[in-house]
Amino acid sequence: MHSVLTTCPFCACGCGLYLHVENERIVGVTPSKKHPISRGNLCVKGWNSIEHVRHAERLREPLIRKNGKLFRTGWDQALKRVSLELLKIKKKYGGESIGILSSAKCTNEENYLLMKLGRAVLKTNNIDHCARLCHSPSVLGLTNAFGSGAMTNSISELAGAEVILVTGSNTTEQHPQIARFIFEALDKGAKLIVIDPRRIELSRFAHIHLRPRLGTDVIWLNGMMKIILDEGLLDDSFIKMRTENFPEFRKFLSRFDLGQVEAISGISLEDLGRAAKIYAGAKRAIIIYSMGITQHVSGTDNVESIANLAMMTGHVEQEITGVFPLRGQNNVQGACDMGALPGMLSGYQRVDDPAVLDKFSRAWNTGLPAAPGLSSVDMLHETGRIKGMFIMGENSMLSHPDMKNVRASMEHLDFLAVADIFLTETAEVADVILPAAAFAEKDGTVTSTERRIQRMRKAIPPVHLSKPDWQIIIELARRMGYPMDYESPAEVMEEIALLTPIYGGVYYDRLETIQGLQWPCPDRNHPGTTYLHKKSFARGKGLFSCIAYRPPDETPDKKYPFALTTGRVYEHWHTGTMTRRISILKRECPEGFIEISPADARALGIINGEPVKVISPRGEVTTRARLVEGLPGKTLFMPFHFREAPANALTNHAVDPQARIPELKICAVRLEKVT
Amino acid sequence: MNNNVYLPQIAVIKDIKEETGDIKTFTLAFKDRKFKNSFSFRPGQFMMVSVFQAGEVPISISSSPSQPENLQLSIKKAGALTGKIHGHKVGDEIGLRGPYGRSFPVERLIGKNLLFVAGGIGLAPLRSLINYVLNNRTEFGQITILHGARTPSDIPFKHELSRWPKERDVKVLVTVDRPDTGWKGNIGPATALWDKTGISSRDTIAVICGPPVMISFVVMDLLKMGFSEDDIISTLERHMKCGVGKCGHCSIGHQLTCVDGPVFTYREMKELPTDL
Amino acid sequence: MRRAPGKGDLMTDKLILYKEHLNSFLRKITKGFELIAPVRNTYGDTLFEVIPSVDDVGIDLTNRPILSPKRFFMPQVETLFAYRYDKSGYTFKDTADNTPRVIFGLRSCDTRGILFYDLIFQEGLKDKYYLDRRRDTILINLGCNQPGENCFCKSAQSGPFLTYGYDIQLTDLGDRFFVEIGRPRGRELLAGWSYFFRPATQADIDAQYEAVLESEGRFRHRLDFDAAIEKLINQKVDPAIWEELGRRCQNCGGCAYVCPTCYCFNMFDSPCSEKEGERLRTWDACTFAGFSRLAGGYNPRQDKAQRIKRRFYHKLFYDKQKYNIPSCVGCGRCADICFGRIDMLSFIRLICEQKEKSPAPAHRRLGELLLEAGIISQKDLDSAIEKQAATGKPLGVQLVEMGVVDKEAIAGALGCQLKIPGTAKNVED
Repeated sequence: MHSVLTTCPFCACGCGLYLHVENERIVGVTPSKKHPISRGNLCVKGWNSIEHVRHAERLREPLIRKNGKLFRTGWDQALKRVSLELLKIKKKYGGESIGILSSAKCTNEENYLLMKLGRAVLKTNNIDHCARLCHSPSVLGLTNAFGSGAMTNSISELAGAEVILVTGSNTTEQHPQIARFIFEALDKGAKLIVIDPRRIELSRFAHIHLRPRLGTDVIWLNGMMKIILDEGLLDDSFIKMRTENFPEFRKFLSRFDLGQVEAISGISLEDLGRAAKIYAGAKRAIIIYSMGITQHVSGTDNVESIANLAMMTGHVEQEITGVFPLRGQNNVQGACDMGALPGMLSGYQRVDDPAVLDKFSRAWNTGLPAAPGLSSVDMLHETGRIKGMFIMGENSMLSHPDMKNVRASMEHLDFLAVADIFLTETAEVADVILPAAAFAEKDGTVTSTERRIQRMRKAIPPVHLSKPDWQIIIELARRMGYPMDYESPAEVMEEIALLTPIYGGVYYDRLETIQGLQWPCPDRNHPGTTYLHKKSFARGKGLFSCIAYRPPDETPDKKYPFALTTGRVYEHWHTGTMTRRISILKRECPEGFIEISPADARALGIINGEPVKVISPRGEVTTRARLVEGLPGKTLFMPFHFREAPANALTNHAVDPQARIPELKICAVRLEKVT
Repeated sequence: MNNNVYLPQIAVIKDIKEETGDIKTFTLAFKDRKFKNSFSFRPGQFMMVSVFQAGEVPISISSSPSQPENLQLSIKKAGALTGKIHGHKVGDEIGLRGPYGRSFPVERLIGKNLLFVAGGIGLAPLRSLINYVLNNRTEFGQITILHGARTPSDIPFKHELSRWPKERDVKVLVTVDRPDTGWKGNIGPATALWDKTGISSRDTIAVICGPPVMISFVVMDLLKMGFSEDDIISTLERHMKCGVGKCGHCSIGHQLTCVDGPVFTYREMKELPTDL
Repeated sequence: MRRAPGKGDLMTDKLILYKEHLNSFLRKITKGFELIAPVRNTYGDTLFEVIPSVDDVGIDLTNRPILSPKRFFMPQVETLFAYRYDKSGYTFKDTADNTPRVIFGLRSCDTRGILFYDLIFQEGLKDKYYLDRRRDTILINLGCNQPGENCFCKSAQSGPFLTYGYDIQLTDLGDRFFVEIGRPRGRELLAGWSYFFRPATQADIDAQYEAVLESEGRFRHRLDFDAAIEKLINQKVDPAIWEELGRRCQNCGGCAYVCPTCYCFNMFDSPCSEKEGERLRTWDACTFAGFSRLAGGYNPRQDKAQRIKRRFYHKLFYDKQKYNIPSCVGCGRCADICFGRIDMLSFIRLICEQKEKSPAPAHRRLGELLLEAGIISQKDLDSAIEKQAATGKPLGVQLVEMGVVDKEAIAGALGCQLKIPGTAKNVED
């Protein structure tokens, strides 16, 4: 038996763990004690992060569709088919008719290679990944305000915070290891403000818990800032020295009518005022937010408002104070960093910047498309625009809103290829399915939510005939007439470092430490960066934006009287592809459910555990009712992990016009008892 | 291989009898002749049933120990695993480990009048004991059997419920919660039938098996009638994995249901911290 | 007959091994055994590792490994057997691991953990998988001269040095180890290479005695297990404590996974193909809801508070009742990792420091607290007080009946100190 250090494959906390290997099988996990986040423990998912690797349902060999049926085939034939079909589409309709979904579950190197394949070989900027559904508003909004879309500080700094404001993040369930630092801060006397419509686990420890109505974040944020302005709690010198456009913003706020706050958000001014004073009054305060803020048509607005709040109180640009967008997937930060985005190359270098394009075309020795491409939502929800797709490790069928619509778009494609470890719902409709290697079967790097670049290490060989995605991409590129010559992911990282300033000093030999490197790390001697915007924002001065409230796209009405919000549970990960194949996790949470308040349930005569039908304008789902106290009236919650009861058959795909994120956090539904 | 308690013995399904819409009785024969010949059990014991590819589930033996070669398990469809067993056909193979657990204290019953109260599938382990008692009829006193089911179609072992009263000094009373149109028998909980049984606590031991709520109501009445806590015997159900006292799942206080139970006297049960 | 050099020349059960000979001795062990020892890796973590060659790794005798060596006896994920179905029916392939092993440098707490495993897996029907591995493993215990930050093995009567149970026990005496032989196979192992050892002198024995005394004086934590167990037996733990612990527990299972004596496991089938499959077992934790949930959905330990209560009752009281010894070895690993402080160290402290009865907060304060927490508004409070005058119900009940607040919110606001009669409705019902 030997042990291999790697990074947990689930969330973006980025815990370090050892896999114990015996006879090419993983037989156990030990959390790293020296790792700055895991500190000797993991969450229940981390402790059980291994069983799915050897699961019987792992894809064994490439599959190819003939006359509607899937057949086993060899790698050569499958790869040939993928490259021929994609090239055919490129030739017939142009590169812009090809869509590529990269994966926040894959390594940086794989994301980089796939975006290179897309741009350099297939000549398309239609490259995106699931960050579209989680933090695209953060990338955009925080870049607008601060100049960088990433979490400003490091996770461990939370332990020293004086005030922590958590909004739209169910931290104990989704980022359990980050929650531990919040508890540490609480133990040291920190104040916790939770602003969330649901009574989440953390709210039980909150000094203040405010419960806005779904989709009214800009209102309470502006209200809070107006109070801060009126009470003179702002940080004048910070505003003056470090920011711009404040006079305009001040004018905007002074016109803001506090009277509407309670009417729209449901939060009393009194309560909001107390929260405002605690947050603004602290020396060091941190805002944690997540999908509750971003998954709205006003997602970017919400993020920019949070940035406004942090800047006007001077709670950014220092240690132990800042804005923490908690990223979801283990490598969603890295997938963004690597340019798996329609408008950006690696390191957030814009495709429409001629100098950037020139640099990359010369490095890659080929011409590159200059117009920003389509987002994943536009690829998957606008039937007909895209003719062929390559999807690496994403299960968009279950994760995107409005499943019927996604299915229609996918089925309308001339060609779809999927690389994954299991036959996902997305793979089920593909023309070619390529069996990929799982996290424990390959080398690479992943970047956690705190910009920490860490190694993923191969512990066992890929099962059956599966291959790491980076090898699959290299094979495809070669067949498409663009040889990629990399012996290892380390060699890919050397290229990334050369072309990506924020990763400029990232080399594998430097990652052989327990803490990895936090970007920006511009050169080989740079120690990495624990917190951003020190002494100056990445964009120079922080930018205040005047944000007006925009209501959600779909609100309850007579026909659909309930607001449905969606999310995740502690034991499962996204579309359940991995966690629902892990015995302990499956047992802990075997099936889907919908949460309803006891009062609403009573009114409908629904008993706990009973099956109910949930109907939205887009679809219907039957699942079990779970009566929980702490949900606002007329509000329902459903996790989206479960294919038998897919919440996303119901959700709305109306998008934020800027970030193109769909409004997964609110749609209107009605409930029916199943008799 | 044979010293490994986790390794099941293969048994062939010889017969399947549909008792009710969701209960089937499987008659099983071990494939290994040596094992088959040495196999014996006591009423109240259970087997760990392997449904390969799906897992294991503990099932009480419902046949009489007098005929160990005709091992029967009566299984109610309750979840994925039992559902899968229900899909099996005659000739299919399943795995069995056991017998496990503490049985009914047969020796203590000798010479006593016996009251059996069963609810639903709870009749399965009692059937094992009842048939054993009837096979050794002379050793026991009067026998009263109460069985409660949800509806007439939920009554298992109908054939035996009508055969048993024909034996000497055996009274059988069946009751349902919800009668159908043809039902002419008793309606209501088993506890409504005390008057009809004419039972007394003297020289009588009660053996109860069924849902926890039923057990507690029956016990309450029996105590009122003057039954001593030692003369009320019942079974407890817990989540079980190994069946051999290792895995910890079926713990109640310091006891393990799989080795210290599932049969307990009421006095023992009362001492158990049921939520710990 | 010629004997191997030095074989059988051990004159006594107390010997000396000079540190400069340690690696040579361990190298000999690797020739006949799989050697497992604590290794500090390049990332700074110390783990028990199989040591193919003693010259290639740094054996760490300073830091205690992150996990106990229990995974070498019961791996976290273990295949019990594989099966295959064909024309002639099912055939089984049982896995067997009879590799002879030596675990070197495990601490008293971890050795005691293994001894506890012995009790469980040997009792009644024997667990072949555990016993196969255990039978052929020799334990070389290293007593602790310097207890760690969260160590309390002395209070748990399982360290810092052992008086029984080890095959060999070492005490660090600076330039040399004091070597004690506990069981015959320990003697046999040393006898194979007796030239590394010399009999201990009285001075060595005195030095060892001093090391033990010194170490015992260095513990930061002294816990009264008996008092804690007494409290559990007599139900003297305030129910509010269980509620509070349940509230703080985030259900990671870490306490059970890191515990050297936690042995509970789950069993399940893993299909490999249509005709083939495996029966596996994995580590489990009694703090998980699914641990005790029955197929129909009924769970005798539905609440987290109940499960945590079960955990402590089991480890302290039930195991003491059953085996005459609590199943906590005082290693403090749970205290190292549980940010919720639901670890043994914090728990025993908590219940031993607990006053017999804490006074219930006055109802006047409940309103204030809820107001402060933003759970109710002043309007709600006023109207509740008004209604209260008519109904005479406690304020909490009144608020709940008005529908402005629920039980959980009240419990949350007060740290579950309050229990409101008549509101303890279970939404599961």
